[in-house]
Amino acid sequence: MLDTLSDLYWTYQNVIHGVAVNGILALSVYVVLSIGQLALGQAAFMGIGAYFGAIATTKLGLPFPVAILASILTPAAVALAIGAPTLRLTGVYLAISMLGLGEISRLLLLNWDYAGGALGLSGIPERGDVYLLYGVLIVLIIAFIFVGRSRLGRAMEAMREDETAAGVMGVNIPRYKLAALVVSAMLAGLAGCLSAHLSSFIGPNEYGFEEATTILSFALLGGIGTPLGPVAGATILTLLPEVLRFLADYRLMINGAIIVIAILFMPRGLLSWRMKRTV
Amino acid sequence: MRIALVGVIAAALISVAAAQDNKEPVKLGAIEVLTGPNNRYGIPAQRAFDLAIEEINKAGGVLGGRPIAIAYEDSAGNKDQAMNAARKLIGRDKVPLILGPTLSNEMFAVGPVVNDRKIPIIGTSTTANGITAIGPWVFRTAMPESDVIPVTLKTAKEKLGVKKVVVMYANDDAFTKSAYDVMKDTLAKLGVETLATETFSDKDTDFTAQLTKAKNLNPDAIVVSAHVDSGSGILLQGRQLGIGKNVRFIGGNGFNSPKLAEIAGEAADGTLVGSPWFLAKKDDVNQKFVKSYKSKYGEDPDQFAAQAYDSMYLVARAINAAGGTEPEKLRSALQKVTNVGVMGPFSFTEGRDPADTSGVVILEMQGGKFRIFGETS
Amino acid sequence: MLQQQLVNGVVLGATYALFALGFTMMFGVLGVINLTYGVYFALGAFAALWASKAIGLSVWLALPVGAIVAGCIAVIVDTLLLTRLRRAKAPELSSLMVTIGATLFLYTGLSVIYGTEVRRFAPDFAPSAAFEIAGVRIVATQALIVVAALLMAGALIWIVRGTKVGLAVRGVAENPDAAALMGVNGALVTHLVSFMSGALGGAAGVLIGLNFNAIQPFMGENMMLRGFAVIIIGGLGDLRGALIAGFLLGIIEVLTAGYFASAAKDLVAFALLVLTLWVRPVGLFGRAAAKRA
Repeated sequence: MLDTLSDLYWTYQNVIHGVAVNGILALSVYVVLSIGQLALGQAAFMGIGAYFGAIATTKLGLPFPVAILASILTPAAVALAIGAPTLRLTGVYLAISMLGLGEISRLLLLNWDYAGGALGLSGIPERGDVYLLYGVLIVLIIAFIFVGRSRLGRAMEAMREDETAAGVMGVNIPRYKLAALVVSAMLAGLAGCLSAHLSSFIGPNEYGFEEATTILSFALLGGIGTPLGPVAGATILTLLPEVLRFLADYRLMINGAIIVIAILFMPRGLLSWRMKRTV
Repeated sequence: MRIALVGVIAAALISVAAAQDNKEPVKLGAIEVLTGPNNRYGIPAQRAFDLAIEEINKAGGVLGGRPIAIAYEDSAGNKDQAMNAARKLIGRDKVPLILGPTLSNEMFAVGPVVNDRKIPIIGTSTTANGITAIGPWVFRTAMPESDVIPVTLKTAKEKLGVKKVVVMYANDDAFTKSAYDVMKDTLAKLGVETLATETFSDKDTDFTAQLTKAKNLNPDAIVVSAHVDSGSGILLQGRQLGIGKNVRFIGGNGFNSPKLAEIAGEAADGTLVGSPWFLAKKDDVNQKFVKSYKSKYGEDPDQFAAQAYDSMYLVARAINAAGGTEPEKLRSALQKVTNVGVMGPFSFTEGRDPADTSGVVILEMQGGKFRIFGETS
Repeated sequence: MLQQQLVNGVVLGATYALFALGFTMMFGVLGVINLTYGVYFALGAFAALWASKAIGLSVWLALPVGAIVAGCIAVIVDTLLLTRLRRAKAPELSSLMVTIGATLFLYTGLSVIYGTEVRRFAPDFAPSAAFEIAGVRIVATQALIVVAALLMAGALIWIVRGTKVGLAVRGVAENPDAAALMGVNGALVTHLVSFMSGALGGAAGVLIGLNFNAIQPFMGENMMLRGFAVIIIGGLGDLRGALIAGFLLGIIEVLTAGYFASAAKDLVAFALLVLTLWVRPVGLFGRAAAKRA
């Protein structure tokens, strides 16, 4: 019996990991969305985190905790560096500039032979496990819930509802925007590193436009009222291709159709209740 | 009396069990790209596997009468799905051997997992460097570019007197970049001068900038590492820009497709490609395969089909030699197995790559069809 | 070589401009990131391909067929999906999300029906003569694209500026509620704009598919990212901007590849995009519009 259970787990291990990783990615999008900005740069930050984390363990032979640190700090540094000019941008412009930066980083990675170039990095040692993944995810969810209920959370919601009014009321808009960007980058980078060390291979084409829209869909499907929303969206969208496997050729079509129907009937996402606040 | 009854019942049970055993199919696993933009590589493999299995089973199957069956999993060209597929095949379906996956990128992710579980895996279309280095359970029947391209370029130098070339390659695809690395090495070893190296994206459709530059340098030939989509665009635009017929295009394995002429038309004439196999190979085994494939699927097979077909026969032989499907025995059997297939004689090197490179031919495109270079039909 | 490279750049630029015209219209007037635009591009090409094979139409007739088919499908998508969301006053992001789902559905549908292999129009579908003028080679289809880009841009600009319909469109783009108050039928205008941008996308698909002999279901995806760059650099919603930015980008890309390094060619678009956003976010011709979230 134990054998069958452990076999079952081994069989679906990758999916189980994927749900957690995508959950963390969804939260990284949530950070930016919850202050009212559109986010399309997560895939690029994920890629940077994945690459620097993997280089740390594969090429430099450093221990895993160092890799994790690298995968959090490097994207954060990048976010800080590009943060200043992008702060003045709003909405669609911010999103597209993130897209552009994502493409630039993808192209740079492609031409960086030390990191494998087009052939990617293979032979990444297996590090971390399901407990680490879900542990991180749960800690993050709890942290977000606490933040959401605090004054910070109220400020964020104010920014989301009406930026001008929030500014007038004394919310330091640029600082929050930058902070959100940096935190989002750190989370995405972390997700990238964790994921890389569980799939032994990464390539520069895994972090492009398509992936960015997929990550965005996690949050949009689940709703951004609470941090549980994006995680729920991520879970559903990660499991969907596996569940729909039997549809063969039509699988992606049905996937798309499901997204369309879900949004049409639940435009605010699945879990759209707003968090109760104690303050 | 009772003993006799027990004996009869026992015998009956044993023979029923034996009869069951005899019919029980040998179930193998296969991961191929069956949907999505790269399914043109996975579907021919699937078709060829099915064709081979049909023939093998009709001739009595393996292990004294057991048919072979394949459980297919679609990776859709997605690394994660390929990994899920591998885990399902091994963990849930308990297959003793896996064929595929289609793409080298997928193999880099899937290979280590399968290797860890000590199940043999055979790449029939993965030609990048470092595949078999993943581990002792990873085999490859696809002839890597490092075996084919040197033959192509050597022929160009010796038969066409090519002394200086321009090289173009798609720098964002593992397969084309790998092939380019081989080209670069080979050109250096042959002492052929590389006037310039130009890059483009695998998905690009405009190559006029790079081609204009190339034309101006007056090379003897232009060496291209690209998939057939971009490759045919390069040929077309090159001729449109006025690159003369005396400047040949020489391609890596990506050019090895009838699509080249379909898209590029006349511009494809004179293109040279090295190939481990080609459609009109005259030997009996190949001709029979081509005929059966065409009558079953209505299309000519391509090299992905040919490689898959041979691989299936190889696996069948290995199963018979191993006397069963116990993975360790299968692995040793594979290491030693030989076969004469549509690609010619085959065996594995110690590193589990194809050992025999005598089947490599240099093809030239003329009038929409490939033919052996140097042969006038 | 310089002249040839300049011509190469102008032709490439024309393809970018053609693609961007409909895109900037959709984006600038309807105000939503509509990712389905790439699908209309592919649909137009496939419709024309089918028309040329099944009914034997030549390019002059198949082109409008492709455009009209794409335009109609654009209207259908808009009606079924986006209008509903607009009416429910759903957050803008839902529209984006819905277009993501719709795009996935349509692309996959197209590849299920047609397969993912690259196709081309028959060689005799369009004039294919090549000319050599003053040491520069150009093919008839390339000249066709450049002319088409200029003509379409010109026609569109004239419609938007010089006709009542154009006035209505501009009104709705600027302020839908005020326009409604002035008696403009907002829904009709939206449908009209959807149709026009879809048709433009489809026409671009036919011409570009013809020029590069590369028609496959995902052809629009590859253009989308460059499309973003062009419309931002040119200014959201500005047709002149799309035209000029398109040509500019094409020329700069070709010159970069020809004289600097071909590996940098792809970087150009995105570097310029990011630069524009940081230095002058409204683009070459954009007006500093009222802030839209």
